[in-house]
Amino acid sequence: MTHPREDLTALIDGALPATRAAEVRTHLGSCPACREEEARLRQALSALAALPPPPELPPFFATRLEARLRQERARPRTLLAWRWILQVPRPRLVAIAGGVAALAIAVAVPARSYLETRAMVRDLDLLQDYETASALDVDTPEDAQLVAHLDQLLPSGGRP
Amino acid sequence: MGPDPDAALMLAFQQGDEGAFRSLYERHARAMFAFCHRFVRDAARAEELAQDVFVSLHRSRDRYRPSARFKTFLYRVATNHCLNELRRREHALRQEAEGPGEEPVDMDVLASGAASPEEHYHARVLEAAVKELLARLPEKQRAALVLCRFEGLSYEEIAQVLETSVSAVKSLVHRATVAAAEALAPQHPLAREALP
Repeated sequence: MTHPREDLTALIDGALPATRAAEVRTHLGSCPACREEEARLRQALSALAALPPPPELPPFFATRLEARLRQERARPRTLLAWRWILQVPRPRLVAIAGGVAALAIAVAVPARSYLETRAMVRDLDLLQDYETASALDVDTPEDAQLVAHLDQLLPSGGRP
Repeated sequence: MGPDPDAALMLAFQQGDEGAFRSLYERHARAMFAFCHRFVRDAARAEELAQDVFVSLHRSRDRYRPSARFKTFLYRVATNHCLNELRRREHALRQEAEGPGEEPVDMDVLASGAASPEEHYHARVLEAAVKELLARLPEKQRAALVLCRFEGLSYEEIAQVLETSVSAVKSLVHRATVAAAEALAPQHPLAREALP
């Protein structure tokens, strides 16, 4: 039998199955090295058992805990409500995330188009001459901005 | 497995019975504080951690399912809090481990029942040696050692708390005990002072 060192702590703790415990004890009877190791482990356990007991509960522990729990109860339930997301199975979470992303794209693209249109209209307003803008074939916000600032391209400081 | 009165209290709390939560607090507050203190060996941090355990319990009442004994569930919550705390303070702990000989006097230890100044001194030295040992142990070994040696949990219960197998717990407890034997051996400078 090889040295059953891995089983020595479990033997001391009474956590080995009966047949295995009997085998280890038989080995200990004939192996001084393992007996020495077992004694070393027992000595360590005695030292740990000699540690002073932990201190008593601090005097205002309950009061401080109650204060924290009051804060906890005052937390908006909306924050707590989002914790359900941790319980959603992962495949379903991926599907939900995909749906949210698709919705975001569906909303963001028209929104961007709307914002660009608004910017273009603002620049066209500066022209105060929609017919001119039309004649210049203004299609994009960049075109509109360029037309709006055509005066700055003139060498005489903007006056034709 | 017989009926678990703590699980019944937790289920009552789930139904809105705040008195049931108070009962759980009264039954377990001291044990949780002691466990956290044994884990981090610092009274102020232990108090904070033990309070975190009860706040977590309060917060997670809706998600509680009595699939394991309540005690196991509670130790799992507490162990996770302690391990998170250790990860956050890993750097600080390393610094503490570098100079165990300069440990400040832990008034909790001095007030904890040792009779003579000599015993106070030995208790303090042993406390420092164990603190250094715990700081050096990998976190799972540390948890297994505290749960087994100080809390008296069986290997099966520790396996449930750490969500691992009994054979893994056997190995963790053994390796931690071997490390303790080395750290607290009579020839170890700190242990030589602490042990008779």
